[in-house]
Amino acid sequence: MTSLGSSSSSTTEYTVRVPKNTSKKYNIMAFNAGDKVNCSAWTQARMERDMSARRIYGEEETPESGAGSEFGKKQREEARRKKFGIVTREFKAEDQPWILKVNGKAGKRFKGVKKGGVTENASYYIFTQCPDGAFEAFPVHGWYNFTPQAKHRTLTAEEAEEEWGRRNKVVNHFSIMLQRRLREQDRGDDEEDESGKSGKKKKKGGGRGGDLLIHDLEDDLEMSSDDSDSSVGEDGASKAKTKKAAGKSKTKKKQKGGEKDALEDSDDGDYEGLEVDYMSDESSPDEDQVNEKPTREEEHPKGIDEESESEEESEEEKKNEEEAKEEEEEEEGKKTPVQVEKKKKKDSSGESDSSDDSDIEGETASALFMKKRTPPKRAGGRGSAGSSRTGSRPGTPSIDSASTSNTLRAAASKLEQGKRQGAAADSPAAKRLKMEPSTQSPVPSGKSTPQPPSGKSTPSSSDVQLTEDAVRRYLIRKPMTTKDLLKKFQTKRTGLSSEQTVNVLAQILKRLNPERKNVNDKMHFYLTE
Amino acid sequence: MSEKGEVDLTGAKQNTGVWLVKVPKYLSQQWAKATGRGEVGKLRICKKGNQGKPEVSFTLNEELTVIEGLEDKTVSAPRDHPFTMQAVGGQILAVFTENSSGESDGSSSGAGAGPDKLSLEGVVVQRAECRPAVSESYMRLKKLQIEESSKPARLSQQLSKPVTNNYKPVANHEYNREYERKKKEEGKRARAEKQQVLDMLFSAFEKHQYYNIKDLVDITKQPVTYLKEILRDIGIYNIKGTHKNTWELRPEYRHYQGEEKTDE
Repeated sequence: MTSLGSSSSSTTEYTVRVPKNTSKKYNIMAFNAGDKVNCSAWTQARMERDMSARRIYGEEETPESGAGSEFGKKQREEARRKKFGIVTREFKAEDQPWILKVNGKAGKRFKGVKKGGVTENASYYIFTQCPDGAFEAFPVHGWYNFTPQAKHRTLTAEEAEEEWGRRNKVVNHFSIMLQRRLREQDRGDDEEDESGKSGKKKKKGGGRGGDLLIHDLEDDLEMSSDDSDSSVGEDGASKAKTKKAAGKSKTKKKQKGGEKDALEDSDDGDYEGLEVDYMSDESSPDEDQVNEKPTREEEHPKGIDEESESEEESEEEKKNEEEAKEEEEEEEGKKTPVQVEKKKKKDSSGESDSSDDSDIEGETASALFMKKRTPPKRAGGRGSAGSSRTGSRPGTPSIDSASTSNTLRAAASKLEQGKRQGAAADSPAAKRLKMEPSTQSPVPSGKSTPQPPSGKSTPSSSDVQLTEDAVRRYLIRKPMTTKDLLKKFQTKRTGLSSEQTVNVLAQILKRLNPERKNVNDKMHFYLTE
Repeated sequence: MSEKGEVDLTGAKQNTGVWLVKVPKYLSQQWAKATGRGEVGKLRICKKGNQGKPEVSFTLNEELTVIEGLEDKTVSAPRDHPFTMQAVGGQILAVFTENSSGESDGSSSGAGAGPDKLSLEGVVVQRAECRPAVSESYMRLKKLQIEESSKPARLSQQLSKPVTNNYKPVANHEYNREYERKKKEEGKRARAEKQQVLDMLFSAFEKHQYYNIKDLVDITKQPVTYLKEILRDIGIYNIKGTHKNTWELRPEYRHYQGEEKTDE
């Protein structure tokens, strides 16, 4: 033992050993300090190599011999690769990343990626102290950087880009993930419900993941309505609508009414004053409205029974849409939906005789309004749906914040629980709510004067009128897609704007309720009479 | 025996502290030459009383200082190596080991036949760098290293004898002549009995499903036209698809696994 000069210092010497025959390979597991990983707190850990890259390197699909093989295939492939200079890197199991799972299923997950170049110029050794006081040095074989893996759902690249486009407009950030979750949920339900269409739906669902709408009808009607809508606002908003409307695709699959969704899409507020009194028994000036009513009322019982769930969803989406649209229109502000809604109400109350409509309208808009303001409340308020909803409906045209918060919570809870709460009381309300704003939407987008959705009062100088009869004729003759139908009623000839055409056509289709057939992966409508 | 993937957490629970030391390459090479129990040197830790900063230094054993370089140049490595202590800092470093099981002696280091045992040995509490104390011998060692590394990896060598000897134009090259002679020897391929050829073909198709006509000619040593006639009987020619321009047996003659057809 040597001692240095100063008396207060002490020196100790230890022998250093480098064991020769270890089969153990030492590696470093590096965590970022910010992750606050405490290894001693782990109760259980599992670690495996992540072999998912083997598929990429594999390319061993063709059998070597026997059936399906070719003579000399390997040599030829090799020669070809050499000729083109393709150098394939082998798949080394040792270089693959690690997947570390701590504390079982509910615990954290880490991915450890090998860091290159660690052993090139200098070697790292691990010095551990043995019980006998000597140090043992082991060479470090590899260095792996471990990062925690997110378990929460994240947006895909396309969705993220969309959201980026809307970042200045969206105040409510919680709703982004919520809607996405709902969409997925509904997608999942769709697949359960309709096995027959499941294949198609899955494809569409998958497409929707990237916000690509594959369903034609949806595409046609939405895109045209979206185009018209974008004239009002910016791209982001229309994209938002597309995205939200994408969620509606499920409703289309579920129900016959793709038209319904189209109606919901074009909810500019233009058709506001043209509210059609389809739910009250009171007569409206136009005969067409009378004609429509029975058909629409027929739908109601069916709708209530079959489509209660979809209503709620579409209603929710519709709300989202309206909300987004209103945001874009009035450049945000919490008051604006109220203003818009008030405007709508005034118009509609001028037109319609039933207080129901305005109630529902008030409900909707206020629900929208509240929804935008208090997203977290949604999570809280479950189960208060039914009674508060119906309670607030009769006779309160004004926006009552208490009742609206109830309705908001109701609406929100409905959103989240969706199918599970298919209370009968809710469904009529839901259905009517949906119908109501849906007619509102085509209504505001056109004239301010009352205009029956059949479109008979379209400008005089037109060769082709967009009437129900015309559509019926076409559909009887041969099955057509919506695109084809739209082509028939060109805007130049009918005098309607493309938006109006779409809305009106959608209403007509809804009334006609044609049968659907899938030809060449496109949805065709046809009538048989 | 632990399950595959299960990590042995004893080291972590005990909170074993280890040091991570960066060691120069020449030193690690010398350490690899250690004999016996593997003793390579001595580590001296000097604590300066109250001030706290310990000085650590490593002394290499005498017998390990000899480094044999290329061309019989032996240099001696320096013996003294002070350690520079560093904080662990922005990373939490843990040490895990992978035990390649299936090898009892441990001298072979290939991937084990059985599942590897993973265990967490401990956490790094101190990082250090091993630096050689600058000395004459170290300088010489470095010089040697630089010389070695500065040699280019590629080398131009002059050939003692040129590749070819004929620089003048020649009527027919030697290797061409050989080739023709060989061909003449072999002669044209003779048509064997049809049955024999069929046997050969069937045995060939048992090994692989798709064949190029050239390969079949090679295998059967039959003239092309004759072979093609026979093939037209029993096989089909793929024009499109992944196996382009290949011959395969007709479905009824096939007898591959997964297909239930009769053999001829």
